[in-house]
Amino acid sequence: MSRLARRFWRLAALLLLFLVSLPALASAQAPSAAELARGKYVFGATGGCGCHTVPKQPVNAGGRKYDGPFGSVYSSNITPDRETGIGGWTDEQIITATRLGLRPNGERLIPVHPYTTFNGMAADDLKALVAFIRSVPPVKRANQPKKISVPMFESVFLPAWLAAFAPRENPPTSVPSSGVARGEYLVRAVGHCGECHTPRTITMATDNSRFLAGNPKGPEDSEVPNITPDKTTGLQWSEEEIADYLGTGNKPDGDVAGGLMGEVIEGTLAGYKDLTKADRLAIAKYLKTLPPIKNKIGK
Amino acid sequence: MELRLVRTGMILASLVALAAVGCATAPKTPMMGTGDPVADRQRLMKNVGANWADIQAKVKAGAPETVAVNAEALSLHAQRIPTLFPEGSLTDKSKAKPEIWQKWPEFAAAAKNLENRSATLRDQAVAKDGAAVTTTVATFGREACGTCHTPFRVPPPQQQPAQPRS
Repeated sequence: MSRLARRFWRLAALLLLFLVSLPALASAQAPSAAELARGKYVFGATGGCGCHTVPKQPVNAGGRKYDGPFGSVYSSNITPDRETGIGGWTDEQIITATRLGLRPNGERLIPVHPYTTFNGMAADDLKALVAFIRSVPPVKRANQPKKISVPMFESVFLPAWLAAFAPRENPPTSVPSSGVARGEYLVRAVGHCGECHTPRTITMATDNSRFLAGNPKGPEDSEVPNITPDKTTGLQWSEEEIADYLGTGNKPDGDVAGGLMGEVIEGTLAGYKDLTKADRLAIAKYLKTLPPIKNKIGK
Repeated sequence: MELRLVRTGMILASLVALAAVGCATAPKTPMMGTGDPVADRQRLMKNVGANWADIQAKVKAGAPETVAVNAEALSLHAQRIPTLFPEGSLTDKSKAKPEIWQKWPEFAAAAKNLENRSATLRDQAVAKDGAAVTTTVATFGREACGTCHTPFRVPPPQQQPAQPRS
């Protein structure tokens, strides 16, 4: 082989190597500032993924305890720490866990993480959310093992429950950008309002025939208000008042939000308070379109 | 005549002595309520809410410099908050969480935070600095009230409509 031919083949090999590694280089590219900002906005619209943060402790490092009829679970470390967090997961694996409740090893998440609801999030929002979560400082904190007290809960009961009883939101083809459709998307999927505000059936699935009609025994044993527009037992605030409340925590009667609602409004690195006025009004508009359901919560 | 004078003197002296003993043995903390801490603090919080609603209404109406009187009331109320939560004062009517006494320094700091922020708001209003008042009011609910409500109060189950303003 001549010297020229050798040089040709060497160049061709280098070119091939470059072309093969292009997708990898592209995926390793850092997200743009715009994508991170969008991810932070989506993060705020979820309430700051607050279940993954023990108040006043490192953000997203998990460890918050949740008790249920099946036992107790602790939220996971979702910081980008490679050893104890999700730093070793691919974007696709994180999205699969978020919306389908499956870990990379095939293990199913306990649906305290509301994946049947987050399944309604648009792909672009999820990608941006993952990019933002990866930008949060990593924290080395091992996940605490769950304590399941019901025999065969994960192997038999949970798959059957998911198939037979759990309502599942469906993702839109594109992110709704305004109006009632935008409000519905934020309430039903991203904001996961129904997880607390919708009563549950005997199987503990959300009873979506009474969507947002209040829950007398909500998370952490709280009584969660009926926010359908029922005249006697529901939410009678104006759209402006609802939007103000989500942005400031201020109620029209001079009270101020507290408990878990106070937490999601405040958020962690972002919360409902960081939603634009247009989005808060879209949520209010959507709530006004709900069928009023009479369901008195509390005495 | 002398007997009458002596009798009057003795009555006066007794009254003075009684007043002196009363002053000496009176409780150190001022008793301004019913003595039922749950009822007293709920009444105080209603007044805090009324003042806070009034502050927001004034700012929305374009008169932020008029909130000084409300902010002063909030600051004074905040000083009393820790005295209205004697340890274990929980009844069926109370929405206080037991965490108050488990994390007392944090609770006391939250009351102090309300007092300080209210005083700042009052000073801004007294200085007729409407822009500063508006900025403070924008985050006051979450940062002055919410920091205590979120960890230490069970939220009310029913959302109340706006109170009619007098």
